[in-house]
Amino acid sequence: MEQHGSRQQGRWRLWVLVGVLVLALAALAAACGGDDEAAPETAPAETEAPAETEAPAETEAPAETTEGDGAPIKLGILSDCEGAFGAFYEVDIGGAHMPMIARGATPAGANPTDGLENLPAPGGHPIEIVGYGCADDTPEKAIEETRRLIEQLGAEIMIGPLSGDEGIAVANYAKEHPEVTILNGTSGAQDTTLKVQAPNFFRFNSDGAQWNAGLGDYAYNVLGWRTAAAISDDYSFAYTSAAGFIAEFCAVGGQIPNENRIWPPLNETDYSSYAAQLAEIWDEVDGVFLGVGGAGAIPLLKAMEETIGPIDPQKVVGNLFYGDPVIVQELGDRAVGIASADSMWPDSTDPKATAWLETWDATWPDLAGFAGSVFAYNYNSAAEAMLQALEAVGGDLSDGHAAFREALAGVVLDAPFGQISLDANRQAIQDNFVRILTAEGPVTVWKIPQVAQDFGGTFTAETPPPDRTNPTCEPRELPWAGKAEVITAPEEVLGG
Amino acid sequence: MAVAARTAESAEPILRLRGVGRRFGGLEAVRDVDLDVRPGERRAILGPNGAGKTTLFNVVAGEFPPTSGTIELFNHDVTFMPARMRVGLGLTRTYQTSRLFLGLSVEDNLYLALVGVEGGHLRPVRLPGRDGTLRSQAREIAERIRLQDQLGAPVRNLSHGEQRQLEVGMALAGEPRLMMLDEPAAGLSRAERVQLTEMLLGLEREITLILIEHDMDVALTVAEYVTMMHDGAVIVEGTPAEIRANQLVHDLYLGRGHYERR
Amino acid sequence: MIAGARGRSGLAIVFIGLLAASPLFVSDFFLSAILTKTLWLGIVAASLIFLSGYGNMISLAQTGLYGVAGFVLGNVVAADGGLKVAWDPWVGVILGLVVATVVGLVFGAVASRSEGIYFLMLTLAFGILLFYFWGQVTQLSGFGGINSIQAPGIVSKPRTDPDNLFYICLVVSVAVYALIRYIVRTPFGIALQGIRDEPTRMRALGYNVALHRTLAFGLGAFLAGISGILSVWWNTRIDPGSVGLGRTIDVLVIAIIGGIFWIEGGWLGAFVFTAIDTYSRNIDWLGPRFNTLIGVIFLVIVLVSPGGLIGIWESARGLARRRSGAGAGLPPGAPAERSG
Repeated sequence: MEQHGSRQQGRWRLWVLVGVLVLALAALAAACGGDDEAAPETAPAETEAPAETEAPAETEAPAETTEGDGAPIKLGILSDCEGAFGAFYEVDIGGAHMPMIARGATPAGANPTDGLENLPAPGGHPIEIVGYGCADDTPEKAIEETRRLIEQLGAEIMIGPLSGDEGIAVANYAKEHPEVTILNGTSGAQDTTLKVQAPNFFRFNSDGAQWNAGLGDYAYNVLGWRTAAAISDDYSFAYTSAAGFIAEFCAVGGQIPNENRIWPPLNETDYSSYAAQLAEIWDEVDGVFLGVGGAGAIPLLKAMEETIGPIDPQKVVGNLFYGDPVIVQELGDRAVGIASADSMWPDSTDPKATAWLETWDATWPDLAGFAGSVFAYNYNSAAEAMLQALEAVGGDLSDGHAAFREALAGVVLDAPFGQISLDANRQAIQDNFVRILTAEGPVTVWKIPQVAQDFGGTFTAETPPPDRTNPTCEPRELPWAGKAEVITAPEEVLGG
Repeated sequence: MAVAARTAESAEPILRLRGVGRRFGGLEAVRDVDLDVRPGERRAILGPNGAGKTTLFNVVAGEFPPTSGTIELFNHDVTFMPARMRVGLGLTRTYQTSRLFLGLSVEDNLYLALVGVEGGHLRPVRLPGRDGTLRSQAREIAERIRLQDQLGAPVRNLSHGEQRQLEVGMALAGEPRLMMLDEPAAGLSRAERVQLTEMLLGLEREITLILIEHDMDVALTVAEYVTMMHDGAVIVEGTPAEIRANQLVHDLYLGRGHYERR
Repeated sequence: MIAGARGRSGLAIVFIGLLAASPLFVSDFFLSAILTKTLWLGIVAASLIFLSGYGNMISLAQTGLYGVAGFVLGNVVAADGGLKVAWDPWVGVILGLVVATVVGLVFGAVASRSEGIYFLMLTLAFGILLFYFWGQVTQLSGFGGINSIQAPGIVSKPRTDPDNLFYICLVVSVAVYALIRYIVRTPFGIALQGIRDEPTRMRALGYNVALHRTLAFGLGAFLAGISGILSVWWNTRIDPGSVGLGRTIDVLVIAIIGGIFWIEGGWLGAFVFTAIDTYSRNIDWLGPRFNTLIGVIFLVIVLVSPGGLIGIWESARGLARRRSGAGAGLPPGAPAERSG
């Protein structure tokens, strides 16, 4: 057994090693929690949470006690640097920076994540960006990053997250942490505000259903559809997205029975069997709504071409992913004319809109062209609303952000693509647009003014959340049905 | 030739093979073998490489079933009985290349062999009484194979010779009635071979021995009766003296066998 | 792996004592986001190390099985999503562990006859199957997962009051560690190591190798299930992404970083992984390249020491006092190379 003896000694030392490692890291963490004054102005990574280990609620205490002498307002920005939306990381952060740059801040480098200098100081309280959260479109990572920004780095206000399920998780987190205020980045799941209703979670962008407002009306009244099919990803954001189309198309009199709703799994790469399912009912329907997002859009269209035949733009409409000119590059001119909907209006001639697009390209030359994306625009809206509210209350975050939140709830943004205000659930009421795809990009044909999340009572906290069979198909009153503003006549776009 | 030929002609065979064959695809590794081994016998199976000795061994041990014929072990038809159940009848074996538990100690190796026979394979608790008995049995076997000083050593650290000793020890666990040794002397030095021969000769007569051996000194010293195989079939059977005298054996094997010796 | 090391137990107690006192001197964030996560993540990694180190079964289904426990728990207790039957949280725990173990036994029965790369691929297939199962059976979860899962009162609110869950995870981790250490010295555990080294011999010795491997896999599933329950309490939610391929690879990386042959490696690897995962995002110039960093660390460790961080330690010790021919960096239980 003597060999065992020596191994035991090894184990001894091993445990010592592990113990030392743990202690070293613990000590590091404790040391990092040192006083904030020592932290350099804008390097976000070097500012840390207060050393005290009391409940996180304490983090707001300094703001209260040092009010008036310019205590910084700590801001964290959460987005995805990995996963399906990782490519838009810099765009998101850049969007959130724009309102601060408009107020005199200067970018520290070519990339938004290089940080900002000379940040604005509403009411004498300089804004301090404590960190950029980097999630991967899973709710778990979003929560971990939220906690790092808030609990470790001491953020009092956070902007984010990016994607649907992350939003639900972060809104739930907000509910458990009444001491922080969170403004949504660009996530669009309906439940986030309609169901969770966290009093400290504000969303200044439309949800996935609102993003399709106008499309059902357009399909019924312009394209003349009576019965339609829908094919959309099998997860919450895509349910919400399809719900927007289904609710509206049915409200104005159309039919989409459950058997016409097809749900391929998220991240599918081969859509041929779903296209075949669609082909079986192709003769019975007048058209199909496509809600398969992101990377799936083009494979789906190609699978449909193989099974059903060349795409007929009169028989296809899609959600925001179907306004991408890449589709015309991939499928050719027969894709020109596909109608889709979005809350973006990049072809607007309004000076506010053109100024926004030009300023963006000038500020972030490496990210030119992204100003019309939901990523840049919605992060910008959130940051703009935050600053307006902070300015209104003079940077006062006392009393659990009470005044700040009240101001935030009342903010009415005169945003580049149209006015944005909040409903009682702190959810955006915003214009929406129906566009027609051309080789040069989408041309906006309809504007649906001031779309609210509840679709005139179709969606409430009590109605079942959108899923494979909800909403059901029934005629309803829709506030905006038949009231769309024509921006460009559809015939004009297709004719020219 | 120190051992007296004591073939118990009268006793019932404990192993009876009738018409046993084994094919691997188009290759007929063993064909139509009849074999009777009587209790207490020391039987050697000889033959050049590829003669089908190890295949025959594996068929008897139950590694895989024969493709034809029947096998009776202790009056049970075991033709299609899985290997793990034959050990209960008293059959143990060694392997041509050691198949030891290199990550475990010598004692644990023998302990596992004993548990294998005694049962309680899935017992997820330690029972000091029961495990104590098994472990003292394991230590006894270690003494018999002269590894009593290496009880706690990982088998990985044993020399080749020591691993071959342990290989035999594994087959000794649990009072076997029939031990099958597949080239126990493979790779051993001359001195180690002498030691091995002595140990095999010292085994009690309750244990019947069948061994495959390339080394004629070991084989013909230990065995009382020899079965000679060639191309999958039995060609000659006889006492060591008869085998040595047989011209066919000389042509086929002995010359080559001696040539192979180091 | 070697039983009855009293001195070692003594040190283990000191170490655990230190950990137990850590809420006094670390921040709530560190306690919850680093230490508590390390503890529960270490358990699933330890279950993988148990299977691979003692049974030569590198299972990529551990994350999936951990998800089974988590999803079952989420479905039967009060939560936002799933079946919403709102049973007692402890019933959820028991059901979760039972179902995870049963699913593990079924998977084990199927996979136990394959070895090496085939075993790896089969278990990977199980993992992916579970991922899609939870994603597509929307009645039970859907890709959005189950939110706001209720935990027993003893867990308190892990976000605002992290001490309770930390201690629960600590106690459970110690128990899991002790259980594995005990099991591997029982006939079942020693036989499992025999099967790891020489399944053919084990069959000849009378063991039912397939049954043995199946049961070991079931035990691994049970341990993974424990981790799944704790992770749900910690996250208060679960979704298919929690058990996707990315997480499966994370757990494999954790086990290998820590040391695939030592049970302790599960927690050590989990600690290193969690710390890097969390703190590397604070480093400006690193930016969103966390996975690259982990990948580089992983590669270096694999190249320098197949035994992971603990293996490096053991190697260093072996070099310092080289006396026997023992292979440095390999534990007594490391899977054996066939000699000859």
